[in-house]
Amino acid sequence: MDLENEKIGPAYIAPDTYFKESESRLLHRLGIDVNSPEATVPNIEVIKPEAVVMKVDTSGIQKRARKQDPLTSKSVGVYKELDAVGKVEIAPLTFTTNENPEWVNFSAISEETSGLVESLNITKVTYGDLLNPLDETMALESAESETSISEPMVVESVELESIEVESAEIETLETFEVTGFAIEEVTAEEILVEAEMLETLEEAVVEPIIEQNLESTESIIIHEVPESVGLDELESYIAPINATKAPVIEEVLAQEEQVINLEAPPTAFAPIAGRQKESATPGWLGIAASFAAIVAAYFIWNAIQPPKTEEAMATELQQDEPTLIESPLDEPVLFKDTIPDGLQLVEPLINGEMPNYKEPNVYTIIDAKEMPPRTKRALQDLEDNGLTTFDMEDEMFEELDFESL
Amino acid sequence: MSLNFIYFAHWKSLWDNFKKSSMSVDTAIAKNMSEPKRLQNLSEDELSVELVSAGVSALLFIEILSRYQQQIYYHCRNLLLSHDDADDAAQNTFIKVWQNLHQFKGESRLRTWVYRIATNESINLIRKRKPTIDFDEAQPEMADMMSEDLYLSGDEIALKLQKALCYLPFKQKLVFTLRYFEDLTYEEISVLTSTSEGALKASYHHAVKKLEIYLSVLR
Repeated sequence: MDLENEKIGPAYIAPDTYFKESESRLLHRLGIDVNSPEATVPNIEVIKPEAVVMKVDTSGIQKRARKQDPLTSKSVGVYKELDAVGKVEIAPLTFTTNENPEWVNFSAISEETSGLVESLNITKVTYGDLLNPLDETMALESAESETSISEPMVVESVELESIEVESAEIETLETFEVTGFAIEEVTAEEILVEAEMLETLEEAVVEPIIEQNLESTESIIIHEVPESVGLDELESYIAPINATKAPVIEEVLAQEEQVINLEAPPTAFAPIAGRQKESATPGWLGIAASFAAIVAAYFIWNAIQPPKTEEAMATELQQDEPTLIESPLDEPVLFKDTIPDGLQLVEPLINGEMPNYKEPNVYTIIDAKEMPPRTKRALQDLEDNGLTTFDMEDEMFEELDFESL
Repeated sequence: MSLNFIYFAHWKSLWDNFKKSSMSVDTAIAKNMSEPKRLQNLSEDELSVELVSAGVSALLFIEILSRYQQQIYYHCRNLLLSHDDADDAAQNTFIKVWQNLHQFKGESRLRTWVYRIATNESINLIRKRKPTIDFDEAQPEMADMMSEDLYLSGDEIALKLQKALCYLPFKQKLVFTLRYFEDLTYEEISVLTSTSEGALKASYHHAVKKLEIYLSVLR
């Protein structure tokens, strides 16, 4: 059958009513009014970028920015290709406390970047900083309203009893005992224990900063906070000075202070008395002995068998394989090798109904474009006369991107 | 004499202005009234130019829909065989055409552009139905889908050809369908499939040979 000369029509014919119904359905879905189509405007969704309030210079950041999976401890680089883009403007971000802080690498943002006026002013605040208001940054922020003790003094131990904490600012200090002198009811004064001094004090916990204009308010006390307490519970540990410690807190503290017994628990197994001595017999001797036992058993079994009768021997001989080898010419002729690639699906049909089918002369031509015109014409003539078929199929659809429009 | 001439020139200019303005009004009215008809009379290239120059409008989309709706349905039907799937693919195709019509730059023919979207939609639908499909392999089981479906022509040889197409790899089937049924040129198919014309010709040749063998065996 010649498909190209005998044109076969389509196998499907849909009625016009289907197409009209489909058209009206489509226009209805798209919101196009057929009666007044001019009024319809395509609803093209254009995502407008949000206005950039602050700019962050991210050059050089992405190479170091990596996110780490807390479970597998595997770190993966993030958007390395953004380095090629250059400066990127990032809209303001909001982080909630529920997010895993390990996934936001603030260390990747350099300090000089975060310190710019036009950039995000990012301050690294650790959990310890929140628990301990003795923070150098906060001290610098309130440096204008603070005065430092000019006289050198030796502070051996600091016992802090009551401090009012409001957004990392300590307002009132009721009792501040320092070896050598004691301060009671110090209000409206400015005390700044310099950071240099505090660095020498291992026991120093809180840097007392007293603001000048704040009146004395109700004193409160910070209870000792267990390490297991989260930030959201921290506020509940601030209580008035006269308040007694909550029993729950003391219980938690007692549990934390409990000495962990590192000794191994008693086990139900008795200790091994000593190392057992290895056998002096070499391993190969056992293998040889077992092999000898098998051979001996074989001979013994044959020896104890009763002698075979003549009938049994005749039957056994009949069951032997024939010594005559079939000639390869007796095998049925298959046409497997003559079926070209791609026709295996119709192979049974070809073998059953087309026994005389022969493989066409197919030649693969790689550089068809570089052939001289005369050669091309000769090849075309050969193909037109049905003498041969030239396979010029190359990397078909290699570049086809089915997903793009 | 000169005064008469001035009067004459004045009245003539007034008449010309009146004539010109009345003509432009008539043209505008006629244009608004017969805009769909005017679009219908445009060739494909003129329609592309109109689309690029005048921008997207619902009238233009309706014109594109009426021109290519049937062709796209039959193209999807040849690839997908099932009426429901072809209907879905055709609907999705024209929804994407409407949404992306403003992106059409006129660098290719409008028909090629629409056909490419339809081909992608059909492929996506096949992948959706069978995620593990290998387009290099034939899908003979698809022939069962068209045993009892809507809108079959009843032509036995045409039906046999459709079943034979299932024994071709998808890429050869696509090229054969576009060339044989849709009468697209090799140049258009080349743009549509991003493949060289030589490779397309070879692929079409292979497809025809295989189909001829299959049809002769079935006879």
